[in-house]
Amino acid sequence: MAIVKATKTPVRPAPISETSVFGWLQKNLFSSAFNTALTLFTLFVIYLTVSGVYGWGFVDATFEAENRRECYDNSLTGACWAGVIDWFDNIFYGRYPREEIWRINFGGLLLVLWMAPLWMSRVKGKILVGASVVVFYPFLAGYLFAGGDKGLFMQIMVSGAIVAFAINMANAVVSVLRNQGLDAFVIQSLGKNTAPDKTQRNILLLLTAVTFVAAFLWQLSWTATGVSWTKWGGLFLTLVISGIGIASALPGGIILALGRRSKLPIVRILSTGFIEVFRSVPLITVLFMATTMFPLFMPEGFVLNKLVQVIIAVVLFNACYMAETVRAGLQAIPKGQFEGAHTIGLGYWGTMGLIIMPQALKHMIPNIVGSFIGLLKDTTLVSIIGLFDILGMLRSISKDVPWLGLHKEPLVFGAILFFIICFAMSKYSRHLEVKLSAGRKH
Amino acid sequence: MSDTQTSGQLASAISTEVMIEVNQMNKWYGSFHVLKDIDLTVHKGERIVICGPSGSGKSTLIRCINALEEHQEGEIIVDGIVLGKNLKNLDHIRTEVGMVFQNFNLFPHLTILENLTLGPIWVRKMNKADAVETAMKYLERVKIPEQADKYPGQMSGGQQQRVAIARSLCMSPKIMLFDEPTSALDPEMIKEVLDVMVDLADTGMTMIVVTHEMGFAKTIADEVIFMDEGDIVERNKPEAFFGNPEHERTQKFLSQIL
Repeated sequence: MAIVKATKTPVRPAPISETSVFGWLQKNLFSSAFNTALTLFTLFVIYLTVSGVYGWGFVDATFEAENRRECYDNSLTGACWAGVIDWFDNIFYGRYPREEIWRINFGGLLLVLWMAPLWMSRVKGKILVGASVVVFYPFLAGYLFAGGDKGLFMQIMVSGAIVAFAINMANAVVSVLRNQGLDAFVIQSLGKNTAPDKTQRNILLLLTAVTFVAAFLWQLSWTATGVSWTKWGGLFLTLVISGIGIASALPGGIILALGRRSKLPIVRILSTGFIEVFRSVPLITVLFMATTMFPLFMPEGFVLNKLVQVIIAVVLFNACYMAETVRAGLQAIPKGQFEGAHTIGLGYWGTMGLIIMPQALKHMIPNIVGSFIGLLKDTTLVSIIGLFDILGMLRSISKDVPWLGLHKEPLVFGAILFFIICFAMSKYSRHLEVKLSAGRKH
Repeated sequence: MSDTQTSGQLASAISTEVMIEVNQMNKWYGSFHVLKDIDLTVHKGERIVICGPSGSGKSTLIRCINALEEHQEGEIIVDGIVLGKNLKNLDHIRTEVGMVFQNFNLFPHLTILENLTLGPIWVRKMNKADAVETAMKYLERVKIPEQADKYPGQMSGGQQQRVAIARSLCMSPKIMLFDEPTSALDPEMIKEVLDVMVDLADTGMTMIVVTHEMGFAKTIADEVIFMDEGDIVERNKPEAFFGNPEHERTQKFLSQIL
């Protein structure tokens, strides 16, 4: 009896409970009398909630009215969306001059166009694209939003941004159409692809310089009307503050985290102290400090505008939180990776930049995006210190004479807006995780 | 491995040039004395196998030679350069000394080819085409050129270890250190890694190998070193070492593992 089975067992299909919808329903929702009762009860609660919200928000709601009185005339139990709709421009743009709103939209469009190549798989030189966004876009957008006189520095940065944007777009088009980078394309069309590297580089530099001069001369011909930051508000302001916060919190956090793990005692102590001080204070305190106490330490006559102070506070605060996230990610990298990097002769920055950070950041995506979402929501605190961000605007509706006392609808609307943005962010982070871990099990 | 065992010693090409010199070196982990008065001279082309019970300081010794660990007393001279606090020296030493680890330590986020070309491109400042060419040459030598575009996580342990060897070779080191290269491998994969190492030994590379593979030691070693509790207890030609161990600690160790 040494052989237990002489023939191979044939493969049979799985039982119905594993494969069909009904099987699933039965197994997960109606497996016993008690579970059936629970399922039905839950469905009933869901029905009550959804039908209530649906009735209030859609069926009985008023979408067109001059003031709150008319809403009540239409329906006493429905939502008065007319107030929210009437305030749309304020909610999104604050008190930004209406005839200049296109500048905000244009700025947003530029950002989308600028970043779009990052998502195209055929585009070459993505790191440069990303770097150009971080380095140049803030200046271009900043000038677009604020307007006024361009100083020489601003003129240079705006021209730089225009050049970077133009090169980026051209590169994207060439990459998609011909599957090669813009630099290779230019060199090839000039018939210089056999020239030595140095010559090729000089040609590219020369072309860039020519474009820069052209951009510089062109931007001299126009100026945007100045719009004081006090007129900025609504979702626009929220996105400006949180956008700058998000863009600078990560690099700041990485630097602080590296500082905290540094072998150099002074760097380590300073970083640790900085992180701990900011982390142990609530954001609202930091904001008050930044707007009321900070000016006291500055020389007389030195006036920073409140918005800049707020942005600095938000950036520092979030950089410290990010530093701890990054540090956690760094600690998850096995020591062997450092040793592996050392044995091929990489120094500290090479090891960190090429080996450790790329792996650590990948592990940290969920936490990083979590921080970003938190940052976006925390930004609403600036309404307490007198900036009219989206929350400030939503709450102002109830003080507007025609819509006096209209609290619920604006806040519900705000909640929906925040949900859309935050949900999109978390979905995107999920997508990134899957994409980055594809085929790289370890 | 029986064939390599019976075929006996590889031809060795030891020159009189000294590659590694360790004089009266001591190392402590905190208050624990790991390495005690170590003296060791390795000539160019010499192949040394270090064995000994776990915790005897074998790995620590070769990690000191690669400057992955600091030593507190005595001196280590590698290829004429004294290891010390000078960071420039350390980086230089590490490019001259290749090291292969028990756990491979490949970079999981990079493809095999990227793993191999990273050092030559960023440290040796080689241009990319040349680096790829070198990498493919060594991948061929370790017999896995077809895996170049895979990620380490998609390969078996034996293949990963061969990649790790190729990665070190891409830096064209003068010395190769092996820290228990086969200890984390399944038995059927040990041979493929050892074969690559025997190949390498055949090219005249200076090698120090920490291993428990005694058959391998008999094949390639010019000399075998036995370490116990931080001391170098015995150093001898393999036939003498295995046939007629002198010290009783060596005899005890050999009787336990053979």
